[in-house]
Amino acid sequence: MRVVIAEDLHLLRDGLALLLESHGFTITAAVADGPSLRDALISHRPDVAVVDVRLPPTFTDEGLQIALEARRATPGLPILVLSAHVEQLYARELLADGAGAVGYLLKDRVLNGDQFADAVRRVAGGGTAMDPQVIAKLLTAGGAATPLSRLTPREREVLELMAQGRSNAAIAQRLFLSDSAVSKHIAAIFTKLDLPPSDDDNRRVMAVLTFLNAA
Amino acid sequence: MRPVTRLPLAALRCGLLLLLTAAGFAYSLLMLISVTLVVPFPAAVAGQQRLAALGRRLVRRWAGVDVPDVPRTPLPLPQRRADGWYLHGATLYRSPRTARWMSKFDHYGDDPLVAVEWRWLTLAPFTSAVPLLLPPALITFGLLALRAGPWGWLPAGVAITTALLIAPTSLRWFGQSTRYLLRERRHQPRRGRISRAWTAGWRLAGLAGLHLAAFGAALLTLVTVIPSWGGLLLMITTQTRPMTEIYRRQAHRWTGVSLPSPYRPLPTPPAPGEDGTYRVGRTLYTEPDIAAGLQRHRWVSHDPATWRDQLWAWGALLWAPLSLLPAILISAGFFGLVLQPLTWAPWAVPIGLFTGYWITPFYLWYALEYAGAVPTWIPGWTSLLLGLALTLLGLALAVPLTRARTWWDALLLSPTAATLLAAEVSHLNTTQSHLAIQVDELSASRSLLAGQVDELNSSHDVLAGRVEQLNSSRADTADAAAAELRRIERDLHDGAQARLVAVGLGLGAVARLLETDPVRARELLTQAQETSATALAELRDLVRGIHPPVLAERGLTDAVRAIALDTPLPVTVDTDLPGRLEPAVESAVYFAVCETLANAARVASTVTLTLRHQDGLLRMVVTDDGPGGADPSAGTGLLGIMRRLGAFDGTVTLHSPAGGPTVVIMEVPCALSSPKTSTS
Repeated sequence: MRVVIAEDLHLLRDGLALLLESHGFTITAAVADGPSLRDALISHRPDVAVVDVRLPPTFTDEGLQIALEARRATPGLPILVLSAHVEQLYARELLADGAGAVGYLLKDRVLNGDQFADAVRRVAGGGTAMDPQVIAKLLTAGGAATPLSRLTPREREVLELMAQGRSNAAIAQRLFLSDSAVSKHIAAIFTKLDLPPSDDDNRRVMAVLTFLNAA
Repeated sequence: MRPVTRLPLAALRCGLLLLLTAAGFAYSLLMLISVTLVVPFPAAVAGQQRLAALGRRLVRRWAGVDVPDVPRTPLPLPQRRADGWYLHGATLYRSPRTARWMSKFDHYGDDPLVAVEWRWLTLAPFTSAVPLLLPPALITFGLLALRAGPWGWLPAGVAITTALLIAPTSLRWFGQSTRYLLRERRHQPRRGRISRAWTAGWRLAGLAGLHLAAFGAALLTLVTVIPSWGGLLLMITTQTRPMTEIYRRQAHRWTGVSLPSPYRPLPTPPAPGEDGTYRVGRTLYTEPDIAAGLQRHRWVSHDPATWRDQLWAWGALLWAPLSLLPAILISAGFFGLVLQPLTWAPWAVPIGLFTGYWITPFYLWYALEYAGAVPTWIPGWTSLLLGLALTLLGLALAVPLTRARTWWDALLLSPTAATLLAAEVSHLNTTQSHLAIQVDELSASRSLLAGQVDELNSSHDVLAGRVEQLNSSRADTADAAAAELRRIERDLHDGAQARLVAVGLGLGAVARLLETDPVRARELLTQAQETSATALAELRDLVRGIHPPVLAERGLTDAVRAIALDTPLPVTVDTDLPGRLEPAVESAVYFAVCETLANAARVASTVTLTLRHQDGLLRMVVTDDGPGGADPSAGTGLLGIMRRLGAFDGTVTLHSPAGGPTVVIMEVPCALSSPKTSTS
């Protein structure tokens, strides 16, 4: 699986490359600034890109802007955005096109190599990987009159994990539930959030979006 | 020696100049006529000036005598005013022609050169006719003699040669006499005793004339005032005063005696008394006009100067004959008996030649003889001696008589001590009233100044208040910054720094236990990982507190949206900022919004936030639907906001009536930088 990495800090860029290579990824390009990232995305057409939000030359949200721009040009281009902090605002912008194949994680998550590699793989496969902190903020935010208020506490837990991008099996393992129980909860969530029946992956993304928009 | 060819030319020029003098004489007579007719006078002067200029030019070229041209001052021609009238002197004229004529008339009337040039025109024939006539006349005679036959050749030759030889001399004569007649006369006071007496005699005669005129006025006063029982006194005497005044001025100019105006100042019209009547003297009048008229009458009749003027004028009966005496003696003696026989030749010879009637040089003397005034045996020429004697007597009398007249004038025409005192008092009164006006003006300007001082004081107070405000906000800012730095230091010291130490210790233990107790080592590794994650989380929070990353990355609009999203209640955000603010202001505003939203989140269920920049003022309005009744002094939140924004002259206004809604308005004066489009 071919990966493009965009990270301006040299140590972190090399560390990421090492980590991903040790998990069987092929690094096609490791760039340090915005313009190079734009070129790499166009010329290498990677399976997934791991992008830092803050990049030279502006050191603002250059990486995020290029990621959004690339996904507008190529809908569904898998991109995992990394940042030293997470903002709901950015998460919404990334998810807004509803095409999935998008991730938004704190850089801290790199510390757990297996989980991180898993998240990269999920994004490359068209799924989502939202940082638990984003989800946690969502749960504290939002008032009473949202669709989320209709969910039971257990269903909220399931939705939270689903929003993070976990598979049914992972959720079942995490919550000490059977696979069928998880499926039942998810079906209930879809119904309560008024999501129309469609393929499962798309519905999962829609669920997360609804979740986010509820805030 | 002159070239021979120039001699005939000189003779010709003599003839031409003779014609010029003849024409000039004729023109001088025309000038006399124009002066009497008045209207053509300015035009006639212009012609005379042209003739004189021609004369000067010809004299310079032909006679070689330097007669400089006179620089003519340009005529002050009246200009059209904005209102369409033409001003000359103090009078306005509708027609520019009239005004121009008046202006020229005055100008030429004052020009002494007009008289000088006229004198030249008149006298030039008498001084130069014969010399100028001689060369052309001799040449004509010679030519006639030549035509008469051979016997006339000799006289013709003599005549023509003489004519040619004297022609240059004739020209020079004409030139010199012209220069003398046209010279610029500077008026200078006569020095000698005789000339002083001469002048005094004529001036005395002039003063006698004025005195007689005043006497005429006094006579008129007498015949009018007595039949009218003094009723017409006012009308007559006030008219004669100007005449006496003219005498005073002229006497001062000619004899040097100082005769200031002695009349009492015109009284102010009577003011009505308490009972509405007007008091004049001891009588009360109800009509102000009658009172004023009587008051004027009183003013004239009570003025001693009125009666002294009258007395002085009657003095003319004595003083006028005395004053005229020197002039009469000089006229009769010098002009009649001395000058007339001496100037007999130029006027009596032509008369004798033309009429055959020869007038004796002493004809005035013979007239006296004929009248039986003198015995006939005395020869005529003794009249010369008599004339000289009379002239000398007149001259001798002139100065003493002037002195005597001056005494008389000073006696009656100068103001009395009482009048001087009255004038002084009146002057002091006027001065006092002027001073009173000035005092009024001064006190008015003093109160104006006092007002300005008040204004300055109040603006000084305003400035002092501003300085105090700036001092306190600067102190607040400095305190806040110091407190902030202490907090950051403590957080780093107790948080991230301590945790990194723990991680280091843990990793050291892992290294020791790796061989002996791998299970324990794995546990410690997991612990170290967790500790470092915690340290990262703490650092993240710290950074957010120092300068939120989203503010650095996106600016105020998106940062405010981000806070709104993080706030655990629905927040409607309405922002319209077409550019970025200064970083410091942006940060202060961001934290102010955070604080306000945090406050609102505690009590309200929905919040609306608007953010606008207009006319150099950033304005944030945060409205919540909470119960209201917020007390700004209760918590530190609002004070913190005030302190943050106060550093940028920002203000915070809280409207929180009981029952809500609570509205917080924050305003900061600031500028927007170049627009940058928002990303969403």
